[in-house]
Amino acid sequence: MKDIIQVKNISFNYADQPLLFDNLSLNVHEGEWLALIGQNGSGKSTLARLIDGLNVLKQGQIIVDGLLVNDENILDIRNKIGMVFQNPEDQFVGATVEDDVAFGLENRQVDREQMHHIVERSLKNVNMWDFRDRIPANLSGGQKQRVAIAGIVALSPQIIILDEATSMLDPRGRQDILNLVREIKAKNHLTVISITHDIDEAAGADRVVVINHGKKIDEDVPDKIFANTEQLEQIGLDAPYTSQLIAALKGKGVNLNQQYLDSERLIAWIKQLVSNK
Amino acid sequence: MNNFLFGRYLPGNSWVHQMSPQSKLMLSFYFVIVIFFANNLASYAALAALIAIVILLSGVSILFFLKGIRPLIWLIIFTVALQILFSAGGTVLWKWGPFSVTNLSLINGGFIFIRFLLIIMISTVLTLTTTPLAIADGVQTVLKPLKKVKFPVDTLALMLSIALRFVPTLMDEMETILNAQRSRGVDFGSGSLKHRVQAAVPLLVPLFTGAINHAENLSTAMEARGFSDSEHRSKYRIYRWQLKDTVSWLVFLLVGGLVLYLRK
Amino acid sequence: MDKAISFEQVTHTYQANTPYAQNALADVSLVIPNNSFTAIIGHTGSGKSTLVQHINALLKPTKGSVQVLGKVITSATTNKNLKAFRQHVGMVFQFPEKQLFEETVIKDIMFGPKNYGVSDADAQQAAKSAMKLVGLDESLAEKSPFDLSGGQMRRVAIAGVLAMKPEILILDEPTAGLDPRGHKEIMDLAQQLHDKDQMTIILVTHQMDDVVNYASQVVVMDEGKIVKTGTAAEIFADPGWVYKMQLNLPSSAEFAQKLVDSGVPIGKLPLTIDQLATKISQLVAEGADTDE
Repeated sequence: MKDIIQVKNISFNYADQPLLFDNLSLNVHEGEWLALIGQNGSGKSTLARLIDGLNVLKQGQIIVDGLLVNDENILDIRNKIGMVFQNPEDQFVGATVEDDVAFGLENRQVDREQMHHIVERSLKNVNMWDFRDRIPANLSGGQKQRVAIAGIVALSPQIIILDEATSMLDPRGRQDILNLVREIKAKNHLTVISITHDIDEAAGADRVVVINHGKKIDEDVPDKIFANTEQLEQIGLDAPYTSQLIAALKGKGVNLNQQYLDSERLIAWIKQLVSNK
Repeated sequence: MNNFLFGRYLPGNSWVHQMSPQSKLMLSFYFVIVIFFANNLASYAALAALIAIVILLSGVSILFFLKGIRPLIWLIIFTVALQILFSAGGTVLWKWGPFSVTNLSLINGGFIFIRFLLIIMISTVLTLTTTPLAIADGVQTVLKPLKKVKFPVDTLALMLSIALRFVPTLMDEMETILNAQRSRGVDFGSGSLKHRVQAAVPLLVPLFTGAINHAENLSTAMEARGFSDSEHRSKYRIYRWQLKDTVSWLVFLLVGGLVLYLRK
Repeated sequence: MDKAISFEQVTHTYQANTPYAQNALADVSLVIPNNSFTAIIGHTGSGKSTLVQHINALLKPTKGSVQVLGKVITSATTNKNLKAFRQHVGMVFQFPEKQLFEETVIKDIMFGPKNYGVSDADAQQAAKSAMKLVGLDESLAEKSPFDLSGGQMRRVAIAGVLAMKPEILILDEPTAGLDPRGHKEIMDLAQQLHDKDQMTIILVTHQMDDVVNYASQVVVMDEGKIVKTGTAAEIFADPGWVYKMQLNLPSSAEFAQKLVDSGVPIGKLPLTIDQLATKISQLVAEGADTDE
């Protein structure tokens, strides 16, 4: 499988701060959903910004779809990547929903007539067309994130980066946004990088990378990562719900010789156990 | 502050709402200029009648409208009172130390009051019936000729639109900070002047810090969305000149002529 | 006193008599007992924030009356008298780190007590013990709050409220945006304040697991009304109703519901992991049959 993003031996620190990344390398496969997990301050958001050229690298290289991230390629790279940030308020540039979706198109000098078509299609894609006249003050956090996603869909990128995009939403809004991204990913064959400290969000990923204090401490499929509950707790993250349940069952004498299963498989296992006896 | 209307937008579909923003902006400027030509009761009456019609056509009830600008009226009365007390000329009616009231200063004061009131009314109608975005677009259209002399018209319009878009956000934040500090025992708006100035610090510091944070995050988000140069962007919205604009201009020009005819 | 707070038929209208008028609370009556841990839940815009702002006299009822620690607030209460209501009610707003403004951490925490006339020395004492409570190291006292991490800033803000030694503490989504460790630490602090310091705690939250794990009483709001009051078990007994209120079930109830849907006869939905594990181990031991 092709690596759509290659992070090669990068080092980075903010001004007057100690080195955050020291010789970090990481690959993102084309078409996968990659979760980058770690507690607040672990450096995961900074990594996203480096990939999008929003912070400037000191050492090492990042290559996005064959293009080196540098000043010269920056606009092409940003055409390939759509980012949804944490605070819904701070990425809403337009005065209304439709103006906000148009913002990225205006930047790329898309012709007006075409722009109206794209805005309509994108807003319908995220079920926000009926809200096109609303001002941001009259939208919920989840609705604003939907608009942000419409703004990304409008530019047909290859990669979506969710930078803690659901952390300020209530549980319903969170689920809602993740389902939406999943749907859009499947429809447009996108690569998704979700940066999060929500374990249940990470559980839906194809692959998980664990970052702690700027270091990649683990990288594997969710089954393997979540089997290591001690490691998760050590770096301040929760074990997924199913792992907690498996541990509790063990305490009651119901033993599963695995530390993690996703909910579908755990349900199947419990069902079998209950009916077989 | 809840009834305060100045600078707010009231959604609607009235005659005034439907006019193009650039023509509303220009008409407001024009109206303000005409106000300074009026100098007697008859000419002011003509303008007052015009503004009354405009308010009617904006679909906002006059009573509600007057209530909404009441806080500003106190400000004007204060200004006008100073003007009356410190100006000389005419027959002295009352005198105390450096203060005096004359018949001329009273009349002038009255006219100044009406002038202020008319200006506030027209600008309130403008913001009540025009979305902030449309005002920004109107400014952009009106200033377009300045592009020839390399004036960054589009940048200005974008800045204006973003600033206006963040007004409700910052108002909300101010409300929350006010409440948070109130619950920590701050008494806003009471006590001596010194006390009031001190009380503003716990409000202003967080408000500015928050605004700077917003600005930083927003500029990152704008960059990520491919923004680099505000002068080379296409435009999603345009506002077309309509029949309603032409009709309004004719009426305003007529009233302008009338004012010139009626003035002393 | 057995009740800390009571609402009697409270209605609150924002911007009354204008085209912007909105009824945010409609005829709300509620009693919150002393030293209780009450969770207030409801979807965004259901009136939770408006409700709690009355407890702190940040809002006055348009109709009806609110009684807090023996003092009564009605629409007729003059603004001058409101400060007295606030002294014993601490309120931690959503993202409270936004209210920090002083040059140093300790000064910011001392700000509240000093506003209520506490002497410098006593305020400093209170600030230091508040720092200890929230787990802030003493070495941070002279630092600028703006140089701290987000999680630390949140603690400074909470310490600033605790330093006033409130009898009632309102927490409006105190853990929003925190990572799991930060979340647990703040919630454990709330529990400790309730258990050890006998505070009356009011928690506004979207986290149903916190409701189950910490609250002794739950108030559900919808469209400005209180639609249900009871224990977590009573509230979550009817999953259909919970979903209708646009709320979620606690994780264990949700997982149990999935088990029920796939044919495992769980019966009454358990609320905690322990209850669910017990139920499953019983089923395994009994050798129960599925409905298939």
